[in-house]
Formats: sequence, C-alpha cells, structure tokens
Amino acid sequence: MNDPGATLAISGLTSGYGEAIVIRGISLTVGAGEIVALLGKNGMGKSTLLRTVMGFLPAREGNVVIDGIDVTRDAPHRIARRSIAYTPQEQAIFQDLTVGDNLRLGQVESRWFAEELARICDVFPFLGERLEQRAGTLSGGEQKMLLIARALMARPRLMLVDEISEGLQPSIIERLARVLVAERERTGVAVLLVEQNVRFALEVADRWSVLKLGEIDDEGGSDMPNAASRIADHLSV
Amino acid sequence: MPRRRSDIRTVLKFGIVALAVLAVAPFFLDIYVVNILIRALLLAALALTVDLLWGYTGILTFGQSAFFGIGAYACALVFTHWGFGAQWALLALFLGIVAACAVAALAGWLAFYHGASPLYGSIVTLALPIIVTQVIFAGGRTTGSSSGLSGFPTYYWSSETWFWIAGVFLVVITGLAWLFVRSDMGRVLVAIRENETRCAYLGIPVSRIKILLLVIAGTIGAIAGFGYAAFTNVVAPELGGFLLGTELLIWVALGGRGTLIGPVIGAILIDVTSSYLSGSLPFYWKLLIGVLFVAVIVALPQGLLPEVTRLWRRLIGRRTRMADAPTLEPITAQEVGRGTGQPLVVRGVHRHFGSLQVLQGIDFEANRGELLSLVGPNGAGKTTLIRCLADGYERSGGTITIFGRNLGKWGPDRCVALGIGRKFQAANIFATLSVAECLRVARYRLDPPSIWASGTTLRLPEAALRIVEETGLAQSLNTEARHLAHGQKQALELAMVLALEPSIVLLDEPTAGLTRVERERIGAILTSLTERERLSILLVEHDLDFVREISSRVIVLHQGQIVLDGSVEEVVGSELVRNIYAGASLDAGSGPT
Amino acid sequence: MGVLFLDIVTTAAILFTVASGLMIILGVMKLINFAHGAFLAIGGYAAFVTTQLGWNPWMAIPFAAVVGFVLGLVIERVIVRPLYARPLDAILATWGLGIVIGQVITIVFGREVQFVQSPLSGAIEFLGQSYSTYRLALVAIGAILALALIALLYFTRFGLNARAVIMNEDLARGLGIDSTRVRLTTFGLGAALASMAGALITPLISVDPNLGLPWLINSFMLVLVSGVSIPGLIVASLILGGAQVLVSSYVSAILGGLTIVVLAAVILRIRPQGLFSG
Repeated sequence: MNDPGATLAISGLTSGYGEAIVIRGISLTVGAGEIVALLGKNGMGKSTLLRTVMGFLPAREGNVVIDGIDVTRDAPHRIARRSIAYTPQEQAIFQDLTVGDNLRLGQVESRWFAEELARICDVFPFLGERLEQRAGTLSGGEQKMLLIARALMARPRLMLVDEISEGLQPSIIERLARVLVAERERTGVAVLLVEQNVRFALEVADRWSVLKLGEIDDEGGSDMPNAASRIADHLSV
Repeated sequence: MPRRRSDIRTVLKFGIVALAVLAVAPFFLDIYVVNILIRALLLAALALTVDLLWGYTGILTFGQSAFFGIGAYACALVFTHWGFGAQWALLALFLGIVAACAVAALAGWLAFYHGASPLYGSIVTLALPIIVTQVIFAGGRTTGSSSGLSGFPTYYWSSETWFWIAGVFLVVITGLAWLFVRSDMGRVLVAIRENETRCAYLGIPVSRIKILLLVIAGTIGAIAGFGYAAFTNVVAPELGGFLLGTELLIWVALGGRGTLIGPVIGAILIDVTSSYLSGSLPFYWKLLIGVLFVAVIVALPQGLLPEVTRLWRRLIGRRTRMADAPTLEPITAQEVGRGTGQPLVVRGVHRHFGSLQVLQGIDFEANRGELLSLVGPNGAGKTTLIRCLADGYERSGGTITIFGRNLGKWGPDRCVALGIGRKFQAANIFATLSVAECLRVARYRLDPPSIWASGTTLRLPEAALRIVEETGLAQSLNTEARHLAHGQKQALELAMVLALEPSIVLLDEPTAGLTRVERERIGAILTSLTERERLSILLVEHDLDFVREISSRVIVLHQGQIVLDGSVEEVVGSELVRNIYAGASLDAGSGPT
Repeated sequence: MGVLFLDIVTTAAILFTVASGLMIILGVMKLINFAHGAFLAIGGYAAFVTTQLGWNPWMAIPFAAVVGFVLGLVIERVIVRPLYARPLDAILATWGLGIVIGQVITIVFGREVQFVQSPLSGAIEFLGQSYSTYRLALVAIGAILALALIALLYFTRFGLNARAVIMNEDLARGLGIDSTRVRLTTFGLGAALASMAGALITPLISVDPNLGLPWLINSFMLVLVSGVSIPGLIVASLILGGAQVLVSSYVSAILGGLTIVVLAAVILRIRPQGLFSG
C-alpha cells in the first residue's frame, strides 16, 4: 500500500519506552510536496512516532523508508543528514546559544549559511536583527519562529514538526502557516505535522490522520466538508 | 521477627569449614606464605567493607584505606609513646575505633546530605586518605613522617597465632556481613543502590543509613589496621593512602562487587600473588592486574565470581536455589497521618525556576474518598504540583497542610510520615530485588527490618494485598522486579505506595503505556480505594477518557494556574477546556477559577 | 610580597594548564578521566625522549601532543566508548588504564627518576624580583592555551557542535551532529592537552612513571570547583592555587599539599555545581 515514490513511508511501526508500547503498527505516507497532519490528544503517541522515525527510539516492528531508502535502524544524525529537519516539541532550541548559532546548527556543515540566512531574514526579519542575542531570551512565539527558521536553513526535503502551534497566539500561528505553505510551494518540501490545533492543521495540511492510544483511528483529506467536526469528536474531552 | 534458618545454617557450615582450614593451614604452609597471608586476611576484611559500601549500597569509595591507617597508627602511636601491655592495647584499639568512627561520621555527614550527587560522596572519600597521609606526614617525630614508625614493642607471638587471630577475625566479619546483606536491612541497602529516589519517597532515611554504614565500615577497617600494626610492628603512611584505597576497589571489582565472598577471595589471591611476584616479575604482574581490571570493568562489570559460579552450576547441573517466598499477612491500614479535618489544603503554592514561573497561586483542597484528577496540556505544571506535594523542598512559596499539620520545608521522608504516598510516572521500582523484597522495603517505616534475618511473613495492608493478588504478583513474589511485565511493574509500585498506608495518594500517569485491559483494572482499583478505603487520590492523567470515567472531581491546570475546578460534567462541558486542548490561544489567567 | 605574587600566578597557570585536558573531557563527555595522570606521565616521557634524541627542548610540546592525541583516540574507541552509560565505572576503568600505562612506561623506561632539559633556564628580573624564566614563560603559555581553547570552542564549527552536544545531545544528533565523533575527537584533544601539560611541567619536576598522581587529584578538584568552564577554571586555579601557595609559605609545606583537596570538598558542599555554573 506504500507509495514507493513517497518522501516518507512508515509501515507497521511499533515502538515505545522500555517495555511500554506506545505506538502500535502505524502506517503512514507523506508524498513529495505534501503536508500531512497527525492529530491526537496528549499521550497518544504522536511525539513517540516522530522520535521513532528520527531513530531516537528503536522500532520494535515495521520500518521507516525515506526517499526509497530504509532508514529504520540508522542513527539520528544519519537520518538528519538526509535533509530531514526535525523540530521537537520541547527543548527544541539551544537556549544558551545565540540566535545565529542556533541557525548555524540548522545546517550540518554551514555550507550555504550566508545564502539561506539572507532568505530566512526576509521571512522573519526580527531574526536578522537579533543574531547575537541569546535564544533563551526570545519570547515563546519568537522561539517557535526561530525553530522553523532553523529547520528551513537545512534546505529540507522533509520536515517533521511537533506541535509548533502549542501556546501561540492566533496571529503567530497564522504566520507560521503561511511560511510552511509558501516553503512547500517554493521547494516542494514534504511535511509531517503533529498537531492538536485542528484549525491550524486543516489550514495547512492536504491530508490528516488521528492517532488514538498508539493506533491510527481515523484519516481523511482536508477538503472533506466535515473534517473539522470529525476530528474534533476524536479530540473532545 | 522469625528468621530464615537456612542462612544461619549456611553461615555456620561454611564458617566451621573455613575455621577448620585455617586451623590446619599453618602446618602445611611455608612460614613465608603464612606471614603474607596474615596481611592478606586483614586486607580482605577491609575489602569486604568496600564491597558493603560500593557493591551493595552503590557508594564508590576510595577512602577505606584511611580507616585502616587510623587503626594502624592508633596502635603504633600508643605503643611507641605511651606504653605497652594489655590495657594499652585495649586503649589503642578503643582510640582507633573512636577516631575512625568520628572521621566516618564527619565524612558521612559531609558526603551524604539530601540531594547530594553520588560523585560528591566519592570526592569526599577520595579526600580522606589524602588528608590522613598528609596529617601523618605533618606529624614529624611523633608519627615518623614519611618513614613511619617501627620497632615499637608488641606481642611477639608466633606467626601461627597471628594467622589464627586474623583468620578468625575475617571469618567472623564475613559471616556477620553475610547474614546482614541477606537480611531485610541488607535488601534496603540494595534498594538504595538501585533507586535512591524511590527509597526517599518510601520514607527511608537514606542519608542516616549511609552514614551509619560508613561508621560500621570504618570500625571494621580500624580493627583490621590495628591488627596489622600489632602484627608487623611497622606502620607507614601508605597504609592510609589513596593507592591502597584504589587497590581495594580493584580487588572488589575483580572478585565481584556485591558478592562479599568474591572480594574476600580477590583480596587474598591478588595480595598473596603480588607479594610472591614482587621479587621476580613486579611490573608485569601489576600490568596484568591493570589489564584484567580494565577488561572486567568494561566487559564483566559484575566481576569474576558470578562467572565462576555460573560455570560451576553448569558443570554440576544445579540450578540456583530459590529462597521461600514469605507468606503474606493482611493487616488493617492505620492510615498514617490520618487526623480530623481536611486531608489536604493547598494555599498560594507557587514554584519558579529562575525567572520561569511554573506554578502560581495554586489553591485547592482534597477531601476524603475523593478521586481528584489534574489535567492540562503539556507544560501546564501538573507534575511540578505533584512534586511540591511530595517533597517540602520543592515549592518556592505557599503552604500545604495535611490533616491540619503543616508540611513545612521537609524532605520526602517527612511527607511520607504525614501520610502522603507518591507513585512516579515511569514504574519506579528496585530492579534487582524480588517482588516480595520490594514490598518489604516499602514497609521500612512501619515494620522496621531485621538486620540479621529475613522475615518469613510480610505484613501488607488490605489495599496493597488486593493489588498484589489481583494482578498476579502474588504468584511472582520471588521474581526479580526487572523481569515483570510493564503493567505488573506499575501495579507493584502502586502496591508499594499503598504499603506505606498513606491517607493521600499521588499518582502521576499510572496508565501510561498500559493496554486497555490493564487501564480498566487500574481504574477499578483506584475507584475501590476511594470508595472502600476512603483515601484521597490525586491523579495526573493525559488520557481524558480515563479521567472522565473514574474522577469525582477535576482540576484543569493551564500555564501554571488552576483555570477550572469542578465536577467531571462541568469540565467536559466547558468551552474553556475545549479551547485549551484544541490549542486556541488563551489569555493566561482570564479563565474562571 | 613580589615573589609571593609571582608564585601564586605561576602556580595558577601551571594548575590551569594541567587541568584543562581533564576539563575538556568532563565538559563534553561527562566523563571523569582518571587516566589523566598517566597522560601527564606520557607527556613527561615524551619530553624525556626529546632530550635523549637531542632535539630542541621546545619540540617536546608538539611531540607530546601528537602522542597523546593518537593514544587518546585509540583508548576512546576501545575502552571509554562502552562506558558512557556507567559514569562511575568509567572512573574505575580509566584508573585501571592509568595503571596499565604506568606499568608500560616502567617496563620501557625503568623505574628510575629521569630529568629533562628545560627549554629556558635561569632567572630574569621581573617586578623587581629575580624569578625563574621558565615559570614565567608558563604563565604566557597558559594564557595562550586559554585563548586557544576559547577560540576553538567559540569560533569554530567543531566548538559549536561540541557545545551543542554538551547542552542537549539528542537535539544535536537530530540536527545531524555525529556526537560519537565529537566525543572521540574530544577525548583525543583532552589526552593531547594532558600530555602536552606533562611535557610542560617536567622541567620543573623530575620524571618518573607516577608523576601524574598528585596532579590528577588536584586537577579533578579544580575542574569540579570550576563548574566546568574555562573562565571558571582560571579563577579556580587562582583561588585554590593561591591558597595552596599561602598555606605552604605561612603554615606548613605539608599542609599546603592538602589545601586544594580540602578547600574543594568544602566549596563543593556549599555550591555543588561549582563556582561558575548557573
């Protein structure tokens, strides 16, 4: 069922911490230039899925294929070097490093640092003015923008974005949505977006899946007329 | 407390054999070997104390040589400067022990404070022998400085006599230590090594136990040192030095940490061989020991004895004999801390890390028989709040009262004494202890463990017993906790917490990683705890379906504040809560409280 | 007074130089390298070999650094790598490694005390005092070393990667940084620094297989007190080294040898994170 040309193809993936299984037999694909949203409440295994894809957690079963290459057992840095930008939900930036150093770390060898920096500063002008500032002194919203900016520095083929909208004002969420969509148009990057914010997810994504207790419970296209209410049912208290 | 007879019998059996061997050995051995062995037997007793501290309790010590040096110099100084005779010998031994105890108590007080890192303990033990040797150097004529003292009067008994004295001393110490480490108190030491945090939250006074153990180890070391000085008639600063301290570690590591017998054999074999080869192959022998030591640490961290016994068992085809599991005895929980009034009142509690406010203005109460759930998105401060309730040091301000008694600024063991039991998020148990031993460690406060025997019954309050029986743990009492399935580990920790007979139970995501069936079982247990035992339960939970099914009240935390405190229906119907969970923005603090 | 001041500054410079290799390894790898003393001895014998071969005495420094670096790489790969998850065992294994190195040195060079040629001899007039030229040169070398380490950590990509690994290893790996390689390089660098320091101090002391032992304990204490930072190590060297000089001069030389250990144990009890952390 997996599309061999997909940028990211996950099939039958099972993993967890210690003996606790957190995700069970998950299959999911993200095609080139596609944005897929993965929704679910806290503790349902969304972050665990991303950490397993990145190689931080070993897969018990199943595999992860990126651009046709099986990376299931690769180390995280090897996976990252396949132009994969992963933005974790917590402790995602180096608080004690400067904004500039954080951006520099977006590229493995600072090869196209100057060009990409110039472009990023067009997208988020405030970053250009604060390259020497400690990243930890940025506000919450600015830190999230720095996080996306750092991901874009890598010229990624695939972005794995973990709850970027959490705790942000609507105006900033809107801004991040525009950046993601524009980047997809420009470079054809594929994005797997882990979210709890239904509005944001449906605005950006082409398709969505709902994760419940470690399994995919429901999925569909963002153009489905009742998508929002269907997802909201899954997420309700 | 009834004792397990097999242990005493084992000790007596092996003790008699060892004493018999010792009795005849001098008649078959070369006088030179006997002399070497006397020293080795005394050092083996010292190595045994290193194993008690490091192998069993997890305190990596470089400093046991210091106590050996103290004992040796007490003997040499008294005999040289004051006088010689039975009363002087007793005085010297007494002074040596007192000095060693004082040094050990001081070092322990310095090293094992609440929240000290294990590394700091090692630093203090590292400083000990350096200080002792420098003090000896500084003593000038009195201590003989770097050349030490020699030629003082002593008992010029025959080598055989000294051999028997040293041998009996070692056998007695080893036998006592063997009973001790296999006693219920010995299991507490292993529990401290495995998981010091869990111990503290079970109300075990970890620092006091460690200090006491260091004092005992120091006493044994001082006696051994005294014997050494009285026998050899020579003392030098090296006896209390850092190099001897590290050599002890090598012997223990090679023999097998946490086996008692391994370190004793290791010390005797290596020390005797070293003395033998020091003439012919000094450097190569030390090189070999060094290589072996590195290889064992890297590849066989448990040392050689466990490997040898495994091989032996395979050869003779015998399986490890399992001790009998204790019988479980139900008791009625006294409910520690239970008094009149409200179980828990929280007023104005806040917590900040630097400038980051994680909790602010938390006010709420918990009632008897209530299952109160704390929910909220990641980073809302739920776990921080649980921490503040279970450890008085955690909060930055505000008051917490339990049945009218103020929690104040006290550590977790005080919280346990007030009636709070905390279950951690990840199953937090003692990996190498059996299920029964884990439960018995949890009973430390209420049923103080024996220091020389292992009880044949295990008293558990009914609530804990029910969990043990319903989850199948009762059939696995002898299983090491690390071999349990994930769900059983969670259940075991919950049973351990209930064994404290708490009035208030704090649970941090008890269902994380459990199957649906296990969730339902835990849910049923929690409900019965509130309904039958009338406990107050505070539950942090991500799975909102689970919360809805079992809670009697829900508190919603968001950005460190309580935004809603109400019934399940109120929370489910709240637009505010839906917004928080759907990720829409919420102006902090604008919600109703 | 002048001599006392110069004693304090030169002692601090020597302590800083000797402890820097231990600190780099602890900072990046969270690993206490108890073979540090043995690496100092390796540097001392590299200087001895340099003297024996009749090379320029300054050659001892790069020679010692190269030997230390290569040995460091091998040791990291074989012994240290399996022990990252067991920090206390790593202390023991590196201590055992120190014994092995000490014995190999003994077998090759013998147990006797050796002497090496000093690159600079004699004394010069400084601040109105006649003072050992070489000790003063060590202050300059220590300062250069501190600047070089700061430049490496703060102005190179390797330094940025290393700092990223220190702060949050998982995050660094997720950004494509090979933390295993960073560790390998760091251990090599730490061993090279220790070995170089060994070559630097040997003109002041005699060379024997166990020359590193007293330095190991003092370096360990200094690094912990420093809070594992370069400025912290400079200050810790000045404070503790200064105290050592003062106690040795005014109280007793023997108690002077205790000063660093005792003071460090007390400071760490009051500030477990060291002087310059947080």
